[in-house]
Amino acid sequence: MDETWALTKMTRVEVVVGGEEIPVLTELLSEVGAIGFTVVSNVSGLGHSGYHQGRLLFNDRNALSLITVVLPADRAGALLDGLRSLLAHRSGVLLVSDTWVSRPEYFQ
Amino acid sequence: MSDRELRTARARLLVEVEEAARLIAPLWPLSTFIAVNPFWDLRQMSFAEAIAYAVRVLGISGYPSATLFAEAYRSGRITVADLRVALEAHPTAEDGKGSDVKILTATERYDFVYGTRIAATTEREVAKWSAAFLAKMLPVPPDSGFYAAWLAMIPSDPAIRRIVGRSGRDRLAQLSVQPEDAILSCLERLGIAEEDRVSELARQLARMPGWAGHAKWRSRWAPPGQPGPTLHLVDYLAVRLGYEAELFSAAVAGRGRMGRSASGYLRGQPHGVSRHPDVDRIEAGRVQIEDLPSDLGDELSGLSVIESTKVWLAAYEGHYRDQLLDALSRPASLSTEPPAVQAVFCIDVRSEGLRRHLEVVGSYETFGFAGFFALPIRHQPWGSAEEIDLCPVLLHPSSETAERPCGETDVAASRQLRGRQAQVGARMMFDTARKAAVSPYILAEAAGFLAGPMAAAKTLFPALYLKLRSRVRTMLAPPVATVIETHPRDGGMSDEEQALFAETALITMGLTRDFAPLVLLCGHGSTTENNPYASSLDCGACGGNRGGASARAAAWILNRATTRDLLAQRGISIPEETVFIAGEHDTATDRVIIFDLHLVPFTHRDGVAVLEADLERAAVALAKERARLLPGAKGHDPVAQVTTRSADWAQVQPEWGLARNGAFIVAPRSATIGADLECRCFLHSYDAAVDPDGVALETILTAPMVVGHWINAQYYFSTVDPDLLSAGDKTVHNIVAGTGVVAGAGGDLKVGLPLQSLFESDREYHEPMRLLTIVQAPQDLLVTVIDRNPVLRELFDGQWVHLAARDDQLDNWKIRRPDGTWARWSPAATYTEEVTTHG
Repeated sequence: MDETWALTKMTRVEVVVGGEEIPVLTELLSEVGAIGFTVVSNVSGLGHSGYHQGRLLFNDRNALSLITVVLPADRAGALLDGLRSLLAHRSGVLLVSDTWVSRPEYFQ
Repeated sequence: MSDRELRTARARLLVEVEEAARLIAPLWPLSTFIAVNPFWDLRQMSFAEAIAYAVRVLGISGYPSATLFAEAYRSGRITVADLRVALEAHPTAEDGKGSDVKILTATERYDFVYGTRIAATTEREVAKWSAAFLAKMLPVPPDSGFYAAWLAMIPSDPAIRRIVGRSGRDRLAQLSVQPEDAILSCLERLGIAEEDRVSELARQLARMPGWAGHAKWRSRWAPPGQPGPTLHLVDYLAVRLGYEAELFSAAVAGRGRMGRSASGYLRGQPHGVSRHPDVDRIEAGRVQIEDLPSDLGDELSGLSVIESTKVWLAAYEGHYRDQLLDALSRPASLSTEPPAVQAVFCIDVRSEGLRRHLEVVGSYETFGFAGFFALPIRHQPWGSAEEIDLCPVLLHPSSETAERPCGETDVAASRQLRGRQAQVGARMMFDTARKAAVSPYILAEAAGFLAGPMAAAKTLFPALYLKLRSRVRTMLAPPVATVIETHPRDGGMSDEEQALFAETALITMGLTRDFAPLVLLCGHGSTTENNPYASSLDCGACGGNRGGASARAAAWILNRATTRDLLAQRGISIPEETVFIAGEHDTATDRVIIFDLHLVPFTHRDGVAVLEADLERAAVALAKERARLLPGAKGHDPVAQVTTRSADWAQVQPEWGLARNGAFIVAPRSATIGADLECRCFLHSYDAAVDPDGVALETILTAPMVVGHWINAQYYFSTVDPDLLSAGDKTVHNIVAGTGVVAGAGGDLKVGLPLQSLFESDREYHEPMRLLTIVQAPQDLLVTVIDRNPVLRELFDGQWVHLAARDDQLDNWKIRRPDGTWARWSPAATYTEEVTTHG
């Protein structure tokens, strides 16, 4: 990244899980010190366990959600450890990548 | 441990707690009791696998008893043919076969070997503190929960000092302030290896599934900001393990000093005296029938006890399925005349009886739809500070409604409010005086002359007492006409949202044309007295609340000209002369009340009067049918019987609720009309012709059917395992902080349904079977819907729910196998004819 942009490197974690996992996931995020995250509800797609319908009209718990969190690399390890354990027993997607932010104090 | 290592250890622990809590059913507060599949979070396993796991950790049996099956065989409820069909379909490989070693906590194992009572002592202490916390008897530090409140109190607890001494109590008080860290250190002190942590935590939670269930509800289901003390899973486990580790250490140390310093709780006793009953659990017996055909007897004997039990259960379920599908295979003649009234009832099994009787007394077309009428609302009743969520718990309320006076002067509304406040104030004063230390004596002097005769009248003439009470209340607070509405200008639902709701509701129930001049939307509730489980008899689709408010809000929206204009743009034209009205079916008395008569145009009031008269006739017919089945029914007048039961504060069986529920039918009424389904079927209207892309079918199967499955599974497990998964006998219940009940003076919160909802004397009234879902829809559409929804695949593949389907009324029924293939149905015959295969 060009230094003239004055951006700070962070780790971006994206997780796709069932809506019913959101409470434990937010607990986990709070535990590792993440101070913000984004949830996109009712996402759909095809994975190794088959197709997952997106929006269920009367059921928020069994539709999938995408959670995106950005945090300093030194905190990502604990989160990834917890997420890997969580996804060991259920279907889901875990994506980790480097990202850059302009206001790092919002993510510390 | 570095900060990073500590965070990692805590994160890992949170996931372990989540895994351990999977076999714990969330326990909703009493005011919104929700029937739930106790093993919903194990549904990734098959039904048999989940039971096998729960047997090891919870100590349940999981299947109906051998006695139930033997009696069913003798009475013809299970036949030889049913058994042969079930045997033929029984898989050769055992499902759910795994280790059969029971999982015990470290302290249970210690208790077993040394005769101590560590686990029991922990339970007594944890139950004591949990109850005190919920009752708001503990000072809670700001932004803290149960663990912090307990930790602050423990230095001054004399009970624990008596057990582990002052030094033991000091060690407890010095536990880490962070509950996760306390759990980690206690697990270490108990010698639990990292790979055994989930098992240890699971069994820790399973020791008291009621308190653990309350903690799970609070941690995983309660909406953020839900009022009340916050007893979270991690807090609960930290307190539990704090005791376990300390008692364990004290017992080990005491044993090292020849038991001199250990208290009676921790001193070893002669082996076997204090053995926990779970350790000695006797395996369920084999069904003993002497006159079975020898070949059948031999085949069943060749199976293990658990596998033969599965065959008996399949035969029991198959017999009901065959009878039901047979009844639905005989088409009834339908009236070709347009109906005078269309009436939409909740899918609840109790609606079926009212619909059946209403259809024969007049020109009525009835529909079944989830009782929240597709309107997930947070509702504030008039004059109440409390808001209630009127929607299934699978859903979050998406908008708010409030009831407000309509067309009344401020004076009338104020008078009503003042009257209600006076009544509530008097009630609170009486209750406070009754429960305090000295005031009961003064109260007896001051109000005894009134309270005594009132209690006598309440006991001897309950129906009359209720009528009088109602009159007094009306006199003190004269009723005012109100309306439930949601205006965009007041921050309510937008016009578009209202139209979308209306479209969804009408398409999903298959009512998109040929509207009658009157359309009744009928919710339901149950009026009972002195019944902590009252909400278990209310509407599950309304989150365990009465459904009248949902019906009123839905009718208001559907009557709006703006909604109808937008609906017309979407292809649904509701004639101008059609009026939607709201009602509520009282399932304890069978009566239906019609709301908001002041909103009904004069042109339709005669029609409403006729409807009310016909609903009354249907109610009498239904009361007659139900009164025969109610235990201890007396007298010749069925209406008086059900009314008296509803009003009787000593009645533990006011109605049977959803007992004997067995099937969930997704089809137009033409598929079921004329059949007496004995109030055992959830009926959801569905017309595949207006649902080409399957969205309505998907909505029905992923929400109302899931709720139906929860109810069915709750009844199943409470019946087959009344000791561990039912709430036990109502007559010994005491309410804890308005949240749950305990049996007697304390202990665990009771889970599941009370025995009086399931048993008649000592015999099962409920027939424990897994839900049979019956769908009338094109098979390709149904398969597409199942394939794109993992929750449906889990339920059908895992045999949590059985599925039968047919394309239309001319088609034959087909049964879905667990592998997704389909077999043509014929009663009590083998399903060998392949129809089609879907992977």
